[in-house]
Amino acid sequence: MHELSLCQTLIDHVEKEVERAGQKGRVVIVEVVVGRFSGVHPDSLRFAFELLTADTILEGAEMNVAEPKATCCCRGCNARVEIDEMPVECPECRGNDITIEGGRELLLQSIEIEDQS
Amino acid sequence: MKIVAAKSLLKANDQLAAENRAKLEADGVFGLNVVGSPGAGKTTLLEALFAQLTDRIRPAVIEGDIAGSIDAERIAKLGVPVIQINTEGACHLDANMIAAALEGIDGEDIDLLVIENVGNLVCTAGYDLGEKLRIVVLSVSEGDDKAAKYPAIFQGSEALFITKTDLLPHCNFDIKRISADMKRLAPEAEIFQVSALDGKGIPDAADWLANLRNS
Repeated sequence: MHELSLCQTLIDHVEKEVERAGQKGRVVIVEVVVGRFSGVHPDSLRFAFELLTADTILEGAEMNVAEPKATCCCRGCNARVEIDEMPVECPECRGNDITIEGGRELLLQSIEIEDQS
Repeated sequence: MKIVAAKSLLKANDQLAAENRAKLEADGVFGLNVVGSPGAGKTTLLEALFAQLTDRIRPAVIEGDIAGSIDAERIAKLGVPVIQINTEGACHLDANMIAAALEGIDGEDIDLLVIENVGNLVCTAGYDLGEKLRIVVLSVSEGDDKAAKYPAIFQGSEALFITKTDLLPHCNFDIKRISADMKRLAPEAEIFQVSALDGKGIPDAADWLANLRNS
């Protein structure tokens, strides 16, 4: 959806974290977590990342995207099923007393910085 | 060297939304986020509801649009205070925009703050604005498959307003299908069938809103 503005937030967070850690090196890897139901498309995020990191300490950095699955939990049959798509019913018993756990994550997980030594 | 951050990219928005919510609650104002596609009839629904509500509650409106002030002018004609936010291309309102708009609203003067979001069934689902409740507006001409196709926005809404029901004879829209999908996605949600054109369903919806405000 709004990958460009989210990516700018991501870059701002990275720059802040690197500064807080007192590091001066270039960022080589950024790890992000993008849940299946976060509404964010990893490819669009990568594209935005390439565009927006030019002339920053992140230029040329690799972005690794983890895409955790969500779990459909059914109160009717107690099934817990990993899902790729938002279900309208329990995949096991077809009941509709379900809740979805996870899948909405949108996190900057970690940052790897080039060693200065 | 590796820095573990584990920082939410939406955290800034969520924090601001919590502040907006606290401010509205402290002022005794009920916040309502209205979402739906462009042309679903969000503004028309508000006009119809306000016609029945303004003797009971004191509303104000924040209008979110990409450009222009067409909707705000319509609301202002009803004598309802309104603030227009132009997102200048952004596909959704965020909590920061609402925080700025709240500066221009005196919570003492109102009971209900309606935030009419940018017409969009996708991006608006991702941003908490600090509302107490979100309603999704869907017109019958859009099709009865929308809850199945855009589950996130329906799942996070506390009521579904099916609008333009006067067009039902001309549309292949199955109320049962959309209602079943909505009940699966949001079991507690209320479902209203309304037509601003002939007024059907509007009084019940207005009562519901007025009672929510008082509950």
